Amino acid sequence: MNSGWQHETTAPTDWEQWLGHHTPALLLFARQQARCEADAQDLLQEAVVESWQRQGHDAPPPLGLVYATIRRRAIDLARSADRRTGREAAANLDTPQCWFDSEVENRERSRLIQEAMQNLPEIYRGVVTLKIWGGLTFSEIAEVLDIPANTAASRYRYGLVELRKMSREVFA
Amino acid sequence: MNDSELERLEADLRRVVPARPPDDFLARLKAARPDCNSRPLAKATRLPSLGLRPWLLRWLIPATAMMTVGLVVWRVSLPAAKAAPALKADNVQIDQELLSAFDTVARLPSGEPVRFRCRTWMDQVVLTDKQRGVVIEQRTPRIEVVPVRFETY
Repeated sequence: MNSGWQHETTAPTDWEQWLGHHTPALLLFARQQARCEADAQDLLQEAVVESWQRQGHDAPPPLGLVYATIRRRAIDLARSADRRTGREAAANLDTPQCWFDSEVENRERSRLIQEAMQNLPEIYRGVVTLKIWGGLTFSEIAEVLDIPANTAASRYRYGLVELRKMSREVFA
Repeated sequence: MNDSELERLEADLRRVVPARPPDDFLARLKAARPDCNSRPLAKATRLPSLGLRPWLLRWLIPATAMMTVGLVVWRVSLPAAKAAPALKADNVQIDQELLSAFDTVARLPSGEPVRFRCRTWMDQVVLTDKQRGVVIEQRTPRIEVVPVRFETY
């Protein structure tokens, strides 16, 4: 397992540019971790601000650190959210979320992939998301999910196989 | 699924891009830029391994705990004679000195006047062990407030 986060050196250091570049993938991961859209946005905002503060503003935070912070905060939130009323939780679950870009020509494809991803077991979904859309290495994924790198690699492969089975019409 | 199929599937998935965040959320995120003047938080770093292997650490922690307990038991079971003898005071003086005294008047909620007699004392205790030539002196200030009713006729 890697001993630390890989620091990003090529990405723009400016806050807004960094957000514009990374927020879609970060929000995708946050949506998978949270119960509703509002929670996902709150998780992402808190994680990004905390990671930038940790980094000390000299450079953008390593992406792995941001993803790990999202996951850690999601776990904390899930523990506290268990105390919420059932009505509030049900209302949140009804809120539709669009995980992928839904331009007219890709709308159906995006919907099917989202459906397949939602049905994918959680242990595969996180790894696939971090690898494909987060652009992390297996070492970084291992750090984020607190698993060995070999496990991350095998889960990724199993995840892709499962994903292909579930969305055969999309990837025919 | 062979490697080429895997790569093709990866490429297909990468073509599907994550949804753009809502504009209001993006604006909120941009506005949440951390204060550049604030001190950075402590970085999340792992503890240095010090080159110790896990199996060694597994034994080292309980062994250290057992050694500590053993040390405490041995220290407690030492004969009392070896410990330094306690001080034996052969002269004890207790004194109190009045520093100030004044009276003040207040009214109860019922309107009844009450006089308070306030005194400031300095209590002093002096212990002397002539054999060892040790003198211990302790001075403690004390305020004494005594309510005194007005006499009514």
